[in-house]
Order: sequence, then structure tokens, then C-alpha cells
Amino acid sequence: MPEIHEIAAPFPGVFYRRAAPGSAPLAEPEQVIAVGHVIALVEVMKMFHEVQSAVAGRITEFCAEDGDAVAMGQIIAKIESQS
Amino acid sequence: MNTYTEFVDGAQASFGGDEFIFVEVATDMDLEATLRVIALTDSVAAAEISGVTDICPAHVSYMLRVDPDIRDPRDLLPILAEIHKQKAKDSKLTIGSRIIEMPILYQDPWSHEVLMRFRDRHQDPTSTDLDYCSRINGFSSAPEFIHAHSSRLHIATFVGFMPGNAECYQLVPSEMQLQAPKYVRPRTDTPDRALGFGGAFSTIYPVQGAGGFQLLGRCAAPVYETKKPFGPFEHSTVLPKGGDIFQYRSIEMAEYEDIRSRVEAGTYQYRIGILEFDLSQFREDPTGYPLTLVEALP
Amino acid sequence: MITVIQPGLYTTVQDRGRFGFYGVGFPPSGSMDLYSSAVANILVGNPANAAVLETTFVGPTLEFERNGRIAVTGATADITIDGVSIQPWTIVEIKKGQVLAFGGISAGVRNYLAISGGIGVQPVMGSRSTYVASNLGGVEGRALLPGDRLEVLADSESRTNRNRFEIPEYLRVSPMPHHVIRIVPGLCNYLLDPQSQQLLTAETFTVSTEANRTGYRLTGHQLSFIEREQPFGAGSDPSNVVNLGYPVGSLQAPSGTELICLMRDAVTGGGYATLATVISVDLDILAQMKFPETVLFETISMEAALQLRAERGKRLQSLVELIDAVT
Repeated sequence: MPEIHEIAAPFPGVFYRRAAPGSAPLAEPEQVIAVGHVIALVEVMKMFHEVQSAVAGRITEFCAEDGDAVAMGQIIAKIESQS
Repeated sequence: MNTYTEFVDGAQASFGGDEFIFVEVATDMDLEATLRVIALTDSVAAAEISGVTDICPAHVSYMLRVDPDIRDPRDLLPILAEIHKQKAKDSKLTIGSRIIEMPILYQDPWSHEVLMRFRDRHQDPTSTDLDYCSRINGFSSAPEFIHAHSSRLHIATFVGFMPGNAECYQLVPSEMQLQAPKYVRPRTDTPDRALGFGGAFSTIYPVQGAGGFQLLGRCAAPVYETKKPFGPFEHSTVLPKGGDIFQYRSIEMAEYEDIRSRVEAGTYQYRIGILEFDLSQFREDPTGYPLTLVEALP
Repeated sequence: MITVIQPGLYTTVQDRGRFGFYGVGFPPSGSMDLYSSAVANILVGNPANAAVLETTFVGPTLEFERNGRIAVTGATADITIDGVSIQPWTIVEIKKGQVLAFGGISAGVRNYLAISGGIGVQPVMGSRSTYVASNLGGVEGRALLPGDRLEVLADSESRTNRNRFEIPEYLRVSPMPHHVIRIVPGLCNYLLDPQSQQLLTAETFTVSTEANRTGYRLTGHQLSFIEREQPFGAGSDPSNVVNLGYPVGSLQAPSGTELICLMRDAVTGGGYATLATVISVDLDILAQMKFPETVLFETISMEAALQLRAERGKRLQSLVELIDAVT
């Protein structure tokens, strides 16, 4: 059965899909990723945190836009895994 | 509930939460108030009051940090009132001080590179900081301004903000007081040891970082040193203390590089002399008296 | 030794702070939530000034190279040893080779991890606290990095059966999205106009995303200052004063637009009027708050502030006695 895993922002900050402006996104929707894949960054006070996927699977959607302010616990991506 | 307590000399004391006492001696920058602050805080230090962990003099105010688990900060008010009373009677304003020579490369290439990068944050984007300071203080050229800045002594009237930082006020007759505004928006970068000037104060930036003072040059010797405990850094990581008097000696690149290599080797010797600074003598002869202080340099 | 596998977002070594150097520009540093940090030390049987790890939002993953006791306090977090959940606010045995990992937090900001013996980095100017702005203390004056190895001091505690004690609810902290934060008025408060003085304690302020060990910016209401001729040397803005010392916990309002509460790594002075000071007990509470949580400032007397501080001391003392009674 496919299962949807939600990834939440670990703290309030700014959501980034790219490691640097102009570089390719860290992950794309529909991409199949392994456990530990960095899908996005969240930044607060110039400190960047790599958001990793805790499951292997397919990214079904990003729920925030590049550069959005996100609250702690806000869902930023969904991943479909086979379990 | 009385927020403020007034002492007999007009100083106003209040609490900064349960750990701090703040005493405002004056609100305007004034050398007499600065020396009174130094004399008062020296007396507080000499009294060795239990529970006082930090004594922090500023330009015209001071602050004490108290450990309330050892001493009720309210107990200190009568002690401070008595110290202020004693000092109010004392008309002689003399402080023990040091004179320290700071070798300055005015118009150095490193500060120049940084100040050119931040022209858009400056009052006068088409000029340099030195040319701007020269012009607004009525000098026709930068060398004249450098001469005015370096040929007269500067006294540290506030040590703080960050470790090693000391804001210094020039010991000149009031009509010779140099002034300049800070940048319109602060820079995000300043070289370490850069000589900055803002308001009526000069400072040597202890470390690289943000800053808003006009950049005049760079000091060859550090004011903050954590890695090589040579010379004055054997006992303290910071050089300046409140009331220290600085002579900014204008040097050329060859001497700058020579001093840098001696600093790197830990063999550079600061020229430091011990002296007494007497405000009344300065008031009587603001031009001649500071020249006599220079004699204290070894 | 402890090996840092993942450092977390911003994890530093802290103790109670550095005393005696404020006057030459060194802020005290030390644990932002001193109460939680003290409780963690008491639980593992450390001296009160032992160094702990302070996390920020995302804690570290650490491998232990010797047996010991640990305690985690502060923010509400998921913590595991070798993948098995452990309880916070209690004493946990950890064995050589085991891996302690912090997951997400659900309330608060900072966790405190005490290890029996205490973190053994070299003290600088009498303290092991990290002060990053001047690269001082802690591990090379910075936040932890992957691969760092932390020395742990010898455990001085003789009692070995401490692992049964779980701290009662009333002695824990519970970070909430709204807190009343008590302040003592004073400093340059007289420069605020009377309406703004009232506004400061009548309206709520919101913790912004710019909040760290240096300072907390709070947004909400424009404050205005009395009109006066600016003192010589002060600067042109009505919120400017001739540079003066800043107490830890003091509030300022540059140009009146937002409030800044100075925290333990703040600059020691500057040119903005200080308006009031958060009492030490409530600085611990503020340190566990984040965007977009709200505070209501409440004015209290110095007497009340000192009483609240004494009560915090008694709570910690009662904890010591509770542990003594069960072990």
C-alpha cells in the first residue's frame, strides 16, 4: 500500500528549494528519492538546515514556494512511499 | 514605587532588572562627566563590595552587575549614594591613566577597498571617507585632516560594545573638535584594526565585522588578541581600559609591514607610559597640557 | 569523549556564564534558559557550573565513548538512544558506543543536555561558555561541527542509583505560545512618552524570526519618545542616547519601530535608549519563545523580581532534596 509521508518545517524560518540562488532545485516533484535525501533548506538568522526525507519514495508535492516564510510544523512536502 | 533614585550630585540611579544597577551621571557627552564616571567606578572597585561581579563605566553613565543570590542590589544604593557624596566634595578631577602609542597607516589600501565597496551607504558616494571628513571639518586636503587627527591625543571614554572596542574623544580645545556622522546605513564589513571615526569618537575595530564609522586608516597593532598572549595581552585579551590615552602616530607602509611582522612573531612592544590625567590642567591649557602627557611615553 | 555525528542547527557549549569582563565588552554568554540548564546538571549530579550542550530547534546526534548518565531538559523534543525513545526531565543511563539523537521539537526552542562530569572544553576567562562573536570559549569559539570530539570530565558523583528519579511536572518548564514577561522599569524609560510607556505593558508583542542568543526582536506597536533637544554626542534620532551600558534583558526600541530584548551574547553597550529590563527568571522563559509567539510585558517592582528569583532558587534546592530522598 502506498503511504503519504508529510515533511514538516523543523522551526520557523524561510523555505528554500535551492542550495544557492540560481542553482538547480535540490529535488523536484515526481522525483524518486532515497532515505536521507536533502529536499529543501530552512533558514533562520543565516543558519541553514537541510531538510532530509526520513523515507524512500516519490515526492508528490511541495507545499511551500521557494522563499516562503514557514511556521514550525508547517507541512513543506509530501512523499509517497511503498510499505 | 520610585523607579529612580537621585544622588546628591544629580546622578540618577535605577535598576536594570534584578541583576543590574544603572547610574546616569549626565546625558550630554562631556569630558568632566566621563572623568567623574571613572573616578566613581574606581571608588566602587576599591570598595570591593561583595556581590558586585562587573563594573562597567561608559561615557557619562555606568552600570554595575550584581549577583542577587549574594547581595540584594537594593543594599547598594546607599553605598553608591555615599560614594557619590564623597566624590561630589572632591573638586580635584584626576585619574590614573596610561598613554599608549598606536601606529596608524592612514589611507591604507584595505580600508580603502572596503569603503569603496559600500559607497552606496555613504553620505557622499563620489568621495572617500577621508576626503569627506576633511571637507566637512573645513580642511582643504586629507593630509591636513590626518595631521589634526594624529597630532593630538585621544582619551578612551567608553570601553565596550564588543571586546577590545574603545570609543575615544580627542583632547583638544572645543573649537578644534573634529566631527563626522556615521554611515547612512552601516557597512556589513570592516577590516580588523581599522581606525574608525563617528560622532566625535575614534575607535580601532577589534575584529572584522559590521560597522558604521568613517574609515580613516588601519592600526598595525591589535587591540584584541586571543591567540598570542604577548605583551599587554599576557593578562587580558583586550588592550584598552577606560581613561587610557591614545596617540595615533601616522606611519608609512614600510613601518606598517615591519610592525605587522613583529606582531605576528609576538615580539612587538607597545609603547605604554603611566601617567595622571588632571582635568583642571587640561581645561586651563587644552593645547599645551596634552603635550606634557606625551613625555610619559618610554 | 563524545563524537559529534550531526551538530544540529546551532549547538553550543554553555555554563552559567562569564563574570567580570562586562566592563571591557564581554557579555556573560551562558545558557539562555538557566533554569533548564541547572535542572539538567542537578539530575546527573554535576556541580552547578558544569558545562552543558545548548541546542537550537534541531539538536545534535552524538556518539558516546564511555558509560555515563545524561539528562535532557528545556524544549519539548523527541529524543532517542539507538533509535529507542527516552524521557526528558529524568536521569538516563547511556552506554559506551550508544548514539543519542534529537528529533523535532514541538514546543520551546532550546534543549539542555547535561552529561555526568560535564563537558570538559578549556575554560576561557573563567567560563566554558561559547561566545561566537569573539570566537571565545566552547569548541574553538564556535557552534559544534560534524566530527568534533568533546571531552567529558571525570564524574564526581558517588551515588550510582540515580536512575529512578523522574522530575515532577511542577518543576519542569512548559513553553507556551503566549507568556506574560515581567519587567522592571528604569534606565532611560523616562525618555518614552507617557502613552508609549503605557503601550509597552498594555499591548502584546510578537517574537519575530530575528531572535537568537544576541537579541530578540519583537514587533507590534510603534513607540514614541518625548521631544527634547538631543544631547551632545547622542545622535539625531529621539531614541538615541550617548552610548551607555546595556543590561542583559534590557529592552530598546531603535527609532520606536520594534522592540529588541538583549540576550546573553548581546553587545555590552550602545547608543539606543534602554527602556526596562526583563527579570532574570523570565529571561529563561523568553529564551524558549519563537516566531510568531506573543508576550505581554508586565511591570513589577524590584522586590517582586527578587522574590521570584529566590523562589526559582528554592525550586532548584527542592529538586536536590527530592533526589537525595529517593537515591
